[in-house]
Amino acid sequence: MRRQRRGIKLLALILGLSLVAAACGGDDDDDEGAQQGGGSEDQQDLQQGGELTDLSTFSQGGWDHLDPTLSTTVSESQIGDSIFDTLTEVDYSDIDNPEVRGEVAESWESNDDATEWTFTIRDGLSFSDGTPVLPSSFKRSFERASDPDFAGDYSYLFSFFEGGQDKLDGKADEISGVVADDDAMTLTTTLAEPYANFPAVIGFHTFAPMPESAEGQGVEWEQTADMIGNGPFMLESAPTQQQVVLVPNPEWDGTKYAEELGLPAQPYVEKITFVVSQDQDTAWNSFLAGEGEIGQLTSGRIQEAVDNYATTLNDPVLGIYYFQINQEDPRIGGPDNKLLRQAISQAIDRDEINEAVYEGTRTTATGITPPGIPGFQEGLCDYCAYDPDAAQQAYQEWQDAGNSLDEPIPIQFNADAGHEPVVQIIIDNLDAIGIPATAEPQPSDTYFGQMADGGCVMCRAGWIADYPTYDNFMFDLFSTTALGGNNYGYSNSDFDDLLAEAKRTTDADQAADLFHQAEQILLNDDIGTIPINWYLGQYAYDPDVVANLVQQPSLHIVWETVALANP
Amino acid sequence: MTSYIIRRLLLIIPTVFIALSFLFVLFFALPGDPANLIAGGAERNIPQQTLDQINERYGLDNPLYEQFTDYWQRTVQWDLGESYLSRRSVNSILGEKAVASLRLAIWAIIIEIVVGIAVGLLSAIRRYSLSDKLTTIFTALASAIPVFVLGFVMQWLFAVKPNQWDWPEWARLRTSGIGPNSWALFFIPTGEQWRYLILPAIALASVTTALLARMTRGSMLEVLRADYMRTARAKGLRERDVVLRHGLRNAMLPVVTLIGLDFGTAIGAAVLTETTFTWPGLGSQIAQSVSDRDLPVLLGLTLVVVLAYAFVNIVVDVSYAWFDPRIRLGKGEHA
Repeated sequence: MRRQRRGIKLLALILGLSLVAAACGGDDDDDEGAQQGGGSEDQQDLQQGGELTDLSTFSQGGWDHLDPTLSTTVSESQIGDSIFDTLTEVDYSDIDNPEVRGEVAESWESNDDATEWTFTIRDGLSFSDGTPVLPSSFKRSFERASDPDFAGDYSYLFSFFEGGQDKLDGKADEISGVVADDDAMTLTTTLAEPYANFPAVIGFHTFAPMPESAEGQGVEWEQTADMIGNGPFMLESAPTQQQVVLVPNPEWDGTKYAEELGLPAQPYVEKITFVVSQDQDTAWNSFLAGEGEIGQLTSGRIQEAVDNYATTLNDPVLGIYYFQINQEDPRIGGPDNKLLRQAISQAIDRDEINEAVYEGTRTTATGITPPGIPGFQEGLCDYCAYDPDAAQQAYQEWQDAGNSLDEPIPIQFNADAGHEPVVQIIIDNLDAIGIPATAEPQPSDTYFGQMADGGCVMCRAGWIADYPTYDNFMFDLFSTTALGGNNYGYSNSDFDDLLAEAKRTTDADQAADLFHQAEQILLNDDIGTIPINWYLGQYAYDPDVVANLVQQPSLHIVWETVALANP
Repeated sequence: MTSYIIRRLLLIIPTVFIALSFLFVLFFALPGDPANLIAGGAERNIPQQTLDQINERYGLDNPLYEQFTDYWQRTVQWDLGESYLSRRSVNSILGEKAVASLRLAIWAIIIEIVVGIAVGLLSAIRRYSLSDKLTTIFTALASAIPVFVLGFVMQWLFAVKPNQWDWPEWARLRTSGIGPNSWALFFIPTGEQWRYLILPAIALASVTTALLARMTRGSMLEVLRADYMRTARAKGLRERDVVLRHGLRNAMLPVVTLIGLDFGTAIGAAVLTETTFTWPGLGSQIAQSVSDRDLPVLLGLTLVVVLAYAFVNIVVDVSYAWFDPRIRLGKGEHA
């Protein structure tokens, strides 16, 4: 899961704070659909020129790494994705049916069991220094990123490739499963395990191509304007902890990519300055003070933003706010306590949480996997709707079976991150049907570590997708081997088998059906987790000044499609 | 005097050693796996492979005593290591941040001394007047209001509202950032720089200025009643000379002590001020390093802060002799 910013860190906000998102029944669903993915019809009226100052992307602190090989936060990858284009991109123009399209890859094909993928690279693409983008540009990148002396936090992704783990472990000089043929313009990748969703994964920023000039470059590269890529923008100057300035890459031409992505030939704006702020409230004040054109919504200021500005509150984000259940906890976990978990889930008034805590701006979750993920289906959870009578009945049945609670159920969360009111509503909801529960705030710095080490009973969690695949929510969170061994104790062989089958199924509809079955086992048969809400967008801007600003479900803005209303 | 200064300088060595060693041990004593925290474990679950990688890269799975001795071997050679997160050299981070902090601190100290002493002095001379009462109220307020709250209020009043009222650009102060970073003679802002400097400088100075004003007032009130003041007046000196040459100089002793002690308060205020105004100095970096558990950066910056604190207090102690020639440092201070 990517962080938006450490401490700053992103996620703390998204996952934790109150920001965000407008309810589904927003203003105009038709408009929303048209906006997704850059809205090519609107783009015909957009004009080149002008400069933008963004106060949102780094509103929670600066960056550690802009090199896509090393970057980990959403804000960092906003820059990386603007400087580097990867093999594929997800087209969200139909939010209900997002599709993977080719960026640098013209096409791709796999063998029958989805273990070998061959990508054909488009001719005529260049890095901003004029050197060509070739299959070997990717091979170079992968080898650099998996060098154990250099590897970043996402380098484990290279273990997807055959021989990738050996390279990461220092047992091999190169990844045997990646072969580049510059003459044929093909990049052939052999995977360690079948992975039908691999084209979506390979679009992740860690897999960006690298120019020859990146050869031998370490962390110092990203601290200079020498870090060049093949994306729509390039660094105007060395990035600092005060600002990162991007200007259009003259070598880039978005019309060479898949037409459905709706990209312009060149970015509309002549310069974007991403201003760093160490404090989100200050960043919002900066926006109100007219120091930039784009701001980030912050807790307690959402209504003010909605009243005065345009926002991306209608744009869904690939993130889920949920409560993890420790299946090994005798009070609440395991098959004997399924009715108790059902009672808890049905007792929670998710709409009240949305209204009272999030100012009516989140989407009440009806499953774990959010809208925007290919294969998404609404309403997979049978017990996620507020139904106090059914909850009462389930709790009674659980008690009639000889069970009882000797002490309140502890509900854990990371303190001082905006979760207190959510937990309080849940405690009140549970109290209304007679289930005793108590809030157990935990130190934020160590929260996830402690929970994963077995401290969780019923603990708050959040997840933002790394890449837009169903398995990034199911497999990476709930499989028996998830998270280095699934310390939350959820393990169901039927669930695991369905996921394994889905991952190797190349037919999208069949794969989606398998994922749905797995998610229903998780949510309905086992009640292995309790979804609360899905995240939505977080940007604010003046529509008289900024045009065509759309937040992708990946949380990213496609900056090359953003324009000034009157440049 | 020289031997006194040398002894005080030598005392810095154990002070620094104890302070940094304590911090070092505290880092590992705190709950949570350091590698997990470095990888962002406060916000997400981290794959084991990433944790192994971080442990190996920074030797975090080595025995603590090995890490401890290795740290001090490097530190005595002024090799402060590299940031766990950005992998940048701490020496280079330090060089960059210290300059920004120093500039802000210089202006905060100027405000503190000029405003604090002047207000305290006037308040004492005009005791129980309206201005004295107002001073009491405002200094109490300034001491009580948290720096970040004051920061937000000032941003609202001097940046947000002027924008809504369409004031000319030059009349709007900036909410954050260091701006063009253009200076003359190291610390004098040039061009647009003052618009970025003024709010954080005031915020940083606010608490210590208020304390200084109150201390100056109290100290002056005591001095004004002293016999030697009456003697000075009886000699026919002008009131201004009586107050400034005889009164203020004598009242300065406790005030100077306060300035030295205030340095610690100022460091705390700098953490909040620099974070609130995104001033790229040591304070905001320390705050970030704490939240990131970026130990090398935290230790490197703390080292500098401890050194600065020690030096400031040596200067304060030495200055006693100037304010009061009866004090002879290094000879009869224990008598």
